[in-house]
Amino acid sequence: MTRLSRIAGPLLVPVLAWICYIFLMAPSLVVIPISFGGGGDLHFPPKTWSLELYREFFTQPAWWGTLLRSLVIALCVTVMTTLLVVPAAYALQRARMPGGRILTALAMGPLLVPVIVLALGLYLELAPFGMLNHTLTVVLAHTMLATPFMMTSVGASLRHLDRSYEQVSLIMGASKVRIFFRVVLPQLKSGIAAGALFAFLISLDEVIVAYFITGPDTETLPVKMYSALRWEISPIIAAVSTLLTLVSLLLAVAMMRLERKERSQ
Amino acid sequence: MNAPMTPPPTPTAEEGINRMTDSATQMIRVTGLTRTYGTFTALDQVDLSVRKGEFVTLLGPSGSGKSTLLNLIAGMTQPSGGRIEIDGRDATHLPTNKRGLGMVFQNYALMPHMTVFQNIAFPLQVRRLSKEEIARRVQGALKLVQLAHVADRKPKQLSGGQQQRISLARCIVYEPSIILMDEPLGALDKKLREDMQLEIKRLHAELGVTMIYVTHDQEEALSMSDRIVLMRKGRIEQQGAPEDLYFRPRTLFAADFLGSSNLVEGTIDASAGQFRTSLGALPLPAPQPGAPATGAGVLMVRPEAMRFDPASDAASGWPGIEATVRDSIVLGGVLRHYLEADNGHRLIVQEGSSAHRARPQRGARLRVGWGPDAARLLPPDPEFGKT
Amino acid sequence: MTAETPYLNRLSGLVLLAPMTILLAIFFLYPLGKTLWQSVNDSGFTLRAYADLTTSTLFFKVLKTTFVISFTATLVSLLIGFPVALHLSRKTPRARVPYLIMVMLPFWTSILVKSFALTVLLGYDGVINSFLGWLFGTAVHVPMVFNRVGAIIGMINYLLPFMILSILSSLLAQDANLGRAAEVMGASRFTIFRRITLPLAMPGVIAGVLINITLSIGMYITPALLGGRKDMMVANLIDFYTRQTLDWPLASAIAVVLLVISGVLVAGLGRVQGMGQAREVAQ
Repeated sequence: MTRLSRIAGPLLVPVLAWICYIFLMAPSLVVIPISFGGGGDLHFPPKTWSLELYREFFTQPAWWGTLLRSLVIALCVTVMTTLLVVPAAYALQRARMPGGRILTALAMGPLLVPVIVLALGLYLELAPFGMLNHTLTVVLAHTMLATPFMMTSVGASLRHLDRSYEQVSLIMGASKVRIFFRVVLPQLKSGIAAGALFAFLISLDEVIVAYFITGPDTETLPVKMYSALRWEISPIIAAVSTLLTLVSLLLAVAMMRLERKERSQ
Repeated sequence: MNAPMTPPPTPTAEEGINRMTDSATQMIRVTGLTRTYGTFTALDQVDLSVRKGEFVTLLGPSGSGKSTLLNLIAGMTQPSGGRIEIDGRDATHLPTNKRGLGMVFQNYALMPHMTVFQNIAFPLQVRRLSKEEIARRVQGALKLVQLAHVADRKPKQLSGGQQQRISLARCIVYEPSIILMDEPLGALDKKLREDMQLEIKRLHAELGVTMIYVTHDQEEALSMSDRIVLMRKGRIEQQGAPEDLYFRPRTLFAADFLGSSNLVEGTIDASAGQFRTSLGALPLPAPQPGAPATGAGVLMVRPEAMRFDPASDAASGWPGIEATVRDSIVLGGVLRHYLEADNGHRLIVQEGSSAHRARPQRGARLRVGWGPDAARLLPPDPEFGKT
Repeated sequence: MTAETPYLNRLSGLVLLAPMTILLAIFFLYPLGKTLWQSVNDSGFTLRAYADLTTSTLFFKVLKTTFVISFTATLVSLLIGFPVALHLSRKTPRARVPYLIMVMLPFWTSILVKSFALTVLLGYDGVINSFLGWLFGTAVHVPMVFNRVGAIIGMINYLLPFMILSILSSLLAQDANLGRAAEVMGASRFTIFRRITLPLAMPGVIAGVLINITLSIGMYITPALLGGRKDMMVANLIDFYTRQTLDWPLASAIAVVLLVISGVLVAGLGRVQGMGQAREVAQ
């Protein structure tokens, strides 16, 4: 070994890794300073600092209205996904159903099919019924996309849940409904919370399906952003991006805390 | 009626079992209970009755059907055939939560998201007791297991032994008349296990509940039970009081599963009063119920019933078997000697040890034998050793 | 005994499963079936769409572009991702947390935000070009966005977390004593890497590559926002036929082709992961 390689050897991996960390983080973080720049041009670092872009965002109903709509949709998706998938995951673990394995695979399906194919399929399905441009269909389509994530995280919690909790509760005389709410659900809390965070974020960030099945009245924030990015790069996008990134960061932190809690138990 | 007022004779163990068929005192009656999984029969036509207040242990190796029987009584498994009666009512298809049982699990099954208090309160809330009543009863149960100071902790903050006590408290707090225990002490270390055995016996005596206790630990079964039900391959091999099973096993399996034993195969020669074996002709034990009278058999002697120099204290004139000492070990209060007869047959002899008792040298030649009532004759068992 | 009586009976199972099953039937299975049906139906059964595809130079050009971009992005993501996974695997679980946050950050960020940020960073007067200009004391305008380079960079940024986590999991599954034992036997760091670390990481590498290709061949946003006119990928072509020319059978036929390709890849992924699990069980 030459002297160079002896010095460079141990450094090679960390240096490469750090370049990569910067490459991974830069796009997510660079939008924050840009959004506090003055109006007009997009610059990093900004030449002047102001809250101009946020003022514009919150004074244009076309922008904050879609943000509000997106948040409402994401909230509905979170609730729907929890209501539909948690009982199903429980049944798949605790009942012996014919076709149970197929159903488990089916629930993972939305993760395995390219989103563009699902977007086209939903478009072809809804168009003839005049069901495009409906908020409800967006909610249900996003619920479908979020199903595998909820299934995975709740399924993992359920697999760790010892059956003897349910058995001992039965022996103590509790009904199965009561056991589900008092004994099972509290122990699935972090699994459900993780799935719910995923569902919320998937819905909030989802572009393609929403782009295919929404219209002017039901446009979500990502769809509006996508159009804005395609046709004219409006500086407001920096403010929108920062807001979205902050939501993502918040959810990511919540998720990490959940995982740590899970591990410590 | 002027019949003489003689006290009733003390029943033997055999009579005790027959007597409890008296239906008024039966808490559990199981008849022809069967459970199959595909082609595998986990439980095969089992009949069992348990008296009120009795402590019955289901003992057996894993796969013997003891846990299956317990799960069937608890209603967590559905029977393939047969009938279960609890307190005189048909409970064969009764849901678990309507059977009014208590159960303690090996892993305690304390709800991790509830405090100790909430855990113990849970079965009382299910029974819709008032808040004050619940608080009073939970405190009582906690006092009974001497853990009143941990009420507000989560189960994870307790030691294994404390968790076990809490799960006992949760089980007795709603006063079920029958308590099932599935290897409740399996996760504890030896010292703690012995403490908990005493604790469970104390609670059993104080509360007068009927207990069905599953274990694969023969010492635990011997020390705790009123009656041991020994199971093998989904059937009851033998049942009776601990001393009954230990001193009067009916089968090779029973003899071998409880305690250690010396076993010698041979043929019965009733006319000569001898049992012919590869160790020579041995004295034939007196006839016993269930023992073979002719043909092949297996002679069993417990190690502690073995004697050195039998000719010196026996009137029979049987000189005993000559053997070589291979090893001698101290097991606390007892000395155990491993010997080998001249034909290679191994023998175990156990005697009380004391500080002054010298251990025999390795290679020493000794004569061993046993007293006239120490041996039992058992039927041969072709399947023995394959379980 | 594993064959215990199930805790829930069939009726309760049915009640609990029905809502999710109905949702998946209407919003997952039906759209897939509809796409399949649409691809062979244009007012009556016809294979016209598939016939058109076989003669369409545009389709083949787009397919080629898709594969070139996907494979390039996957390859680069592997080359960058491996050292990162290696770096992470050498940290203690506690020290790994902040690095994992950095890796997961793009995973949590909206792809639109990332695309937008990359146009700012890589643009004509962007951060990189300004930095290079300052470095060389002259105006630098390397075209890095709205062309194939931009599409690939954007895609790598999206793909990297998946690659890193996949390789990391197989690195962490390795017994650390193997390396120590080899070191005791006198092996150099490089030999240990080549003979022990790398071969044992292969399941993670293969899984990461398959995940990356599967994700990238269906990409829509990144090529549309960061690529050039000539960098249309299959997903964009589907959109083009659906909404620009309204040729639904053709759009559906392309979607079916994409579905088959990714189906093959997913099946391959399943086999690799099955192999990994079999190995875990064997150990």
